[in-house]
Amino acid sequence: MKNKYIFGSFIIVVFLGIMIYLFTQSNIQYQDDFTQVMNTTKTVKATGSWVKEKSYHHDKENNTFTFYMVDGNGNEMKVAYNGSIPNNFETASSVVVTGKYVNGYFHAKDILTKCPSKYEDEQVRTSTL
Amino acid sequence: MVGTIFLVIALAFSIMAMVMYYLSFKGYRNTLNYARISYHGMVMFIIAASTLLWYVLLTHQYQYNYVFSYSNNSLDTGFLLASFWGGQEGSFMLWLLITSIIGVILQSYTSKRKELEPQVMAVFTLATTFLLVMVSPWFKNPFEFIWATPMFLDISSINPLYLELPFLQSFFFTDNNSGAGFIQMNSELQGLLAGSGISVSQFIADGRGLNPQLLNFWMQIHPPILFTGFSMATVPFAFALGALMKNEYKEWVRQAFPWLLAGMGILGLGIMLGGYWAYEMLGWGGYWAWDPVENSSLIPWIVGLAGIHTLLVQRKSQSKGGIGKFAKTNLILCILTYVLVLYSTFLTRSGVLGDASVHSFVDPGNIVYFFLLLFTGTFLILGLGAIVYRWKWLTDNTQTEDGLLSRELALFTAAVVLLASGLIIIVGTSAPIFGQSVDTFFYNELNLPIAIIIGLLNGLSLLMKWRNTKTEDLLKKSLPSLGISLLIAVLIIVLGGIDEILIMLLVFSMAFSLVVNAEIAFKIIKGNKKMLGAYVAHIGIGLFILGVIGSSVNSQQVDVDLVKNETISAFGYEMTFTGWKPIDNNTKYSFNIDIRKGDSEYQVNPVMYVSDFNNSLMRIPAILTLPTQDFYITPLGYDEGKNSFVNQGESVVLEKGGRTDFNGIFITFTKFHLSEETMAAMQEGRDFQMGAILTIEKDYKVEEIELLRKQISGKVEFTSFASEEFDIKIKLINLTASNVEIALSKIAEEIEEQIAQTQEVLYVSASIKPFISLVWIGVVVMVVGFFISVMRRLKESLSR
Repeated sequence: MKNKYIFGSFIIVVFLGIMIYLFTQSNIQYQDDFTQVMNTTKTVKATGSWVKEKSYHHDKENNTFTFYMVDGNGNEMKVAYNGSIPNNFETASSVVVTGKYVNGYFHAKDILTKCPSKYEDEQVRTSTL
Repeated sequence: MVGTIFLVIALAFSIMAMVMYYLSFKGYRNTLNYARISYHGMVMFIIAASTLLWYVLLTHQYQYNYVFSYSNNSLDTGFLLASFWGGQEGSFMLWLLITSIIGVILQSYTSKRKELEPQVMAVFTLATTFLLVMVSPWFKNPFEFIWATPMFLDISSINPLYLELPFLQSFFFTDNNSGAGFIQMNSELQGLLAGSGISVSQFIADGRGLNPQLLNFWMQIHPPILFTGFSMATVPFAFALGALMKNEYKEWVRQAFPWLLAGMGILGLGIMLGGYWAYEMLGWGGYWAWDPVENSSLIPWIVGLAGIHTLLVQRKSQSKGGIGKFAKTNLILCILTYVLVLYSTFLTRSGVLGDASVHSFVDPGNIVYFFLLLFTGTFLILGLGAIVYRWKWLTDNTQTEDGLLSRELALFTAAVVLLASGLIIIVGTSAPIFGQSVDTFFYNELNLPIAIIIGLLNGLSLLMKWRNTKTEDLLKKSLPSLGISLLIAVLIIVLGGIDEILIMLLVFSMAFSLVVNAEIAFKIIKGNKKMLGAYVAHIGIGLFILGVIGSSVNSQQVDVDLVKNETISAFGYEMTFTGWKPIDNNTKYSFNIDIRKGDSEYQVNPVMYVSDFNNSLMRIPAILTLPTQDFYITPLGYDEGKNSFVNQGESVVLEKGGRTDFNGIFITFTKFHLSEETMAAMQEGRDFQMGAILTIEKDYKVEEIELLRKQISGKVEFTSFASEEFDIKIKLINLTASNVEIALSKIAEEIEEQIAQTQEVLYVSASIKPFISLVWIGVVVMVVGFFISVMRRLKESLSR
């Protein structure tokens, strides 16, 4: 009877240990300050918005999509994404890119665009007030 | 207004039913009838409100915010009916509607089984009460009028007849960025319109419509099935809490079992239909992305599955007369299954996931957040609190220890392993609440060993006897199956070229599970067919996991440029892009790709279109399904053959004021050059030219240049610019009203001049998914297995 519990708790401890280890390994933090993004070598999820005024283009040969993002404090960074322009990109209210900042630009392996379902409200509210 | 009243009446009935059921449980004699009448009254008003919601959607009554926000005139009947659950309010309505109807079946079910009804239905009506509060006028009411909270309507959605109304002018707004016009809809405007005898439904001519990602056949099927699964999870919860109220733990197991099985069968189907939808339509390239919304419905399913296994042990061990083994575990699991359904709703509807998910709803407001938290918290505290309160009654002392090699222990271990998997997913999915997030390899790497253990356990447990098994018996029985599965596994590993040790183990474990289940199923197919359920379900899961291995481990992907009428080969498929045609009233473009594989010829049609809803390019993949694999083509873009270059260097699109850099040279598009003469020429259709002024700067050297778009007798030509000093060649490729596209290269690089004939190019991403059909077949087989079990357990629940 006692052995059963010792064995059980041993398994649980090992399992939790592995899970916590992998959690820290695969952990990706959200970061909305680009100066932090540029100063870390870890993979992060950088949240900000797309700088529509700056050029963006899709290089068909290498299938790379590049654009600029800005954070809440006005820090800008160049983002390169290996893939095509995501759906909804043009109307995205905010963009979340997952990747690393290396050699002067952010290498994104994943882009998530958020479009508020009532996006028109948002848009107008900011411009009429 | 009527709809809201219906819902409020239904809420009153629901509370009434809850109180009356509770009083009946407390022993009052004549309250049961009132309880039943109230419950059915509630259901009738919910059905009436739902019918009304469908009616206002079908008749385009845009004075309702919900109808305006989630439907429009161009939707056909099927999608209009589906727009019922297109938004948050409606999906709560759907959940409520299905739950209330399931309650009717549950009421009849419990009334036929002695003394179950009052306590089970009292708990069940608590759930309907919470759902009704959710859709009540204070929270997410689908019948809210559009003017209740001021909102901006796009001018194009207003009936043009009324745009000239004098009082309307003070409600106009213009967005300074886009120049789009809006009308502010509020109660003041509604009053003024009513004063002139115009109803809001006349005033608004069209709604916003459904998100284009929802415009898919499965939108009409997946949500109702998923919500049926969610709703059915309420039932085992009600049985468990009812048992705790009554302090009687024997009967409920037998009664709740068919419900848990049916609920999990349907929820499993619903989850994977969502996966199929994503695969077929959303162009993720797969069916599962470990997205929080997918995960959050998977968690209760896994916990429910664990519950099925331990409930089985309790049922079996009750033959000794006591309440059976794992009484506490089963109560906890049945309670957690529903609480996790609620938690899933909390995660996806409250906005806590925010940036983390593609399909989480956005910012529903603080009040909804707290209500959902309260909803989830109430059921969790009620359930676990009751267990703590009754703790000392929950141990069955008549039970003896089982041997290490008993089916009981194997089933319990299976439940524990499943729960571990559930814990992994819940930790990863909840991480965004704390500003963290995990990479998908977190889920993959942790669930892989779990899947291996599950396969082995599944096979072994069926070879073990209840209570205890002699080691040599087990060895003798398992040797043939082990041999056969080893053979199959080696075959799959060699043919599939699998080189990872864990995947090899998984293949073996699944083969073992399949062989044992198939063997037993084959034996009993001649005898008692209703016993087949578990084996069929496990065969389904085995096939499913083999499909997952095949389609993910061996999936390959490549991006190709399909020049029109040129054949390009990828993975043994010869693709030829032959042209496109407009479909759906010229709103979408369907691209024809002829495919040759061996001697067979096929045609597939990926589709692209720009959606009015969100002004974005939508891409719908095309899938060629062959017996052993799918060939999956996602369109990426299309070039209609404007001036193409063999080597066009780097091409950039610049908006006015936009800037780019090329080898340290900054190029800024400063302005358009458009003379009045040009404008006149344009209007008269004469030859004309337009210019784009660019500045190039390098190391403090600045030069301003102009590139021209010339239209000469209908033909368009573009000029280019070259500078030795800057070592740059700039070629204008296109010039539109809003931007310019230029090609940049170094002087030394050869840019071929404009080619005479233009080329149409379709850019696609092509991939192969070997044996993905096993994923779908596996799910169907599994669901069939669930329902065979439901039939058997339903019969058992009636027998005495």
